[in-house]
Amino acid sequence: MGNAVRLYLRLASASLRSHMQYRGTFALRSIVDFGVIVSDLAPIWVLARYFGNLDGWSFAELALLYGMVATSWGIVEVTLRGFENFSMYLVRGDLDRLLLRPRSVILQVAAHDFEFRKLARIAQALVVLALASATLGLGVTSLGWVALGIAGGTLCFAGIVMLGASAAFWTLGETSELQNILTYGGSAALSYPVSIYTTWFRRVITYGVPLAFVNYFPALAALGRTESAGWPRAMPWLSPFVCSAALFVGMASFSRGLRRYESSGS
Amino acid sequence: MGSVRPYLQFARLAFQRRATYRLANWSGVAVNFFFLLVHAQVLTGFFRARGNASGWSANDAVLYFAASESLLMVIGIFPDFRYNLAERVRTGEIVSDLVRPVTLVWRELAERYGTGAHYLVTRAPAVFAAGWLVYGLLPPLRWELALFPLSLALAIAVSAGLWFLACSSAFWRESASGEMSAIVFVNTFLGGVFVPLDFYPPLMRLAADALPFRATLYTPVAILAGKLSGGELAFGLLHQVVWVAALALLASRLESRGLRRLAIQGG
Repeated sequence: MGNAVRLYLRLASASLRSHMQYRGTFALRSIVDFGVIVSDLAPIWVLARYFGNLDGWSFAELALLYGMVATSWGIVEVTLRGFENFSMYLVRGDLDRLLLRPRSVILQVAAHDFEFRKLARIAQALVVLALASATLGLGVTSLGWVALGIAGGTLCFAGIVMLGASAAFWTLGETSELQNILTYGGSAALSYPVSIYTTWFRRVITYGVPLAFVNYFPALAALGRTESAGWPRAMPWLSPFVCSAALFVGMASFSRGLRRYESSGS
Repeated sequence: MGSVRPYLQFARLAFQRRATYRLANWSGVAVNFFFLLVHAQVLTGFFRARGNASGWSANDAVLYFAASESLLMVIGIFPDFRYNLAERVRTGEIVSDLVRPVTLVWRELAERYGTGAHYLVTRAPAVFAAGWLVYGLLPPLRWELALFPLSLALAIAVSAGLWFLACSSAFWRESASGEMSAIVFVNTFLGGVFVPLDFYPPLMRLAADALPFRATLYTPVAILAGKLSGGELAFGLLHQVVWVAALALLASRLESRGLRRLAIQGG
C-alpha cells in the first residue's frame, strides 16, 4: 500500500513537472479555474435571489449542496484525470506503454494526467462550503455528515470515471462524451435538492446511478431536514456503502475491459 | 479576402470532420438532453413558488432550455481544446495557412459555419425532438420567428470572433487554453446558458446587455422560444450586428499584429 502511494506521488510529480513547462499558462489556468464559481454557482444565486427559495431550500442550503458535490467531483478531476482522458491513451496506443510496466495499470492511469491547476476547483468549492456552513451555523455532527458525504461522493465519482473509461475498450472512445452525463451533468443536477425532480428522474439518480447518495442524503442529515418525498430514515447512513459499491463496479468493469484488450499493434 | 472558394472548402471540410464520428454525435445528443432535463426541472421547481415571473411561465423556461441545449453546439459555446488556431500556432502548423491565399479570421469563420451547419442538421433536431417528446412544447408561430435564422447566423459569427480573440493570444504567449476556459465560464453565465437573462438583477443585466456574450446564445434562443419581441427584439439584433462588426475589426487587427510577431521554429 505504501509502495502504491509512493508510486502514485512520483507519477503525479512527473505530471507537475511537465505542466510547469508552461508556467504562465499554468498560473493563468489556475486563476481561471477558480472562475467556475461564476459559471456554476452564480446562476444558482441569481435564481435563488429572484424566486426566494427552491422547494423550501434557501441559497445557503443550495450552496451547501453545490459545495459538497463540487468538492468530491473536484477531487476526482484532479487525482483521477487519467480515466477521463483514457480513450485518448487507448486510441493513440499509450496504454501499451503502461501495460509493459510491472505496476498496477489502474494506478498508472490514475496518475497519468494529474491536474494541479484544477486544485483551484477544489479550493473554490471549499470556500463555498465554509461560507455556507458558517451562514447555516452547522454544528460538529452536521459537519461530520458533510465530510462523510464528500468522502462518499469522491468514491462514487471515482467509480463513474472508471466505468466511463472502461467503455472505451468496447467503443474506442466514441462514447467518451457519455460519461459527461454522470460527471458534469450529475454535478449540475446535484446542485439542487433531488426532491424537485419528477419521480422517474429521481428514481434514476437514486437507485439507477446512486448520485443522490453523493450529497443529497448526507445534506438532509446535516441540515436535519425531513423532505416531503418521504425517504427511509436510513438513507444517509447507507451513503458510504452505496458509494463504495459504485467504486467497486467501476474498478471491476475497468479490469474486465483490460482483460479483453488487444492492442491494434500498429 | 480574395476568392470565396477556399473558404467554402474550409467550411465543407469542417462539416465533414464532425460527420466522421456518428456514435460520438449520438453521445452528445444524450448529454444535451440530460442537461435539458435538469435545467427544465430546476426552473419548473423555482416556478412552483411563483407562477408568473417577468412575463415568463414554467413552460417558457422549458422551451428556452430545449432551444438552448439544441443550439449550444451549433453556435459553438464550447471550443475544441485539442484542435484550434492556438494549437496550430503552438505546433507551427500555422505555416500551411500562411502559404494559402486565405486570411485566418475568414478561415475560422468559415470553419465555424461548417461546424455549425453539421450540428444544425444532426444534433439540434435530435435534442429538440427529444425535448418535444417529453414536454410536448413547440415554439409559438409568430412572425418574429422569421428573424431566428438571421440571429443564429450572427450568433455563430460572434462566437467565432470570441474564439479568435482568445486563440490569438497564442501569438504572444505559448498557449491560449486559459483564455479559452475563461470565455467558456463568462459566456456560460452572461450568455444565459443556465438562467435566462430576464431573471438577472438590474446591474448584472446591464453588464450582460453591454458585453458581447448574450449575442452568442441568449438572443437567438430567446427568439426561438418566443420571448423577444418589439423593442427588445430590435435591440437584440442590433446588439448582435454591432458586436459582429466590432469583433471582426478587432480580430483582423489582432491577426495582422500577431502574424508580425509570429516566429516559426524550423526543425
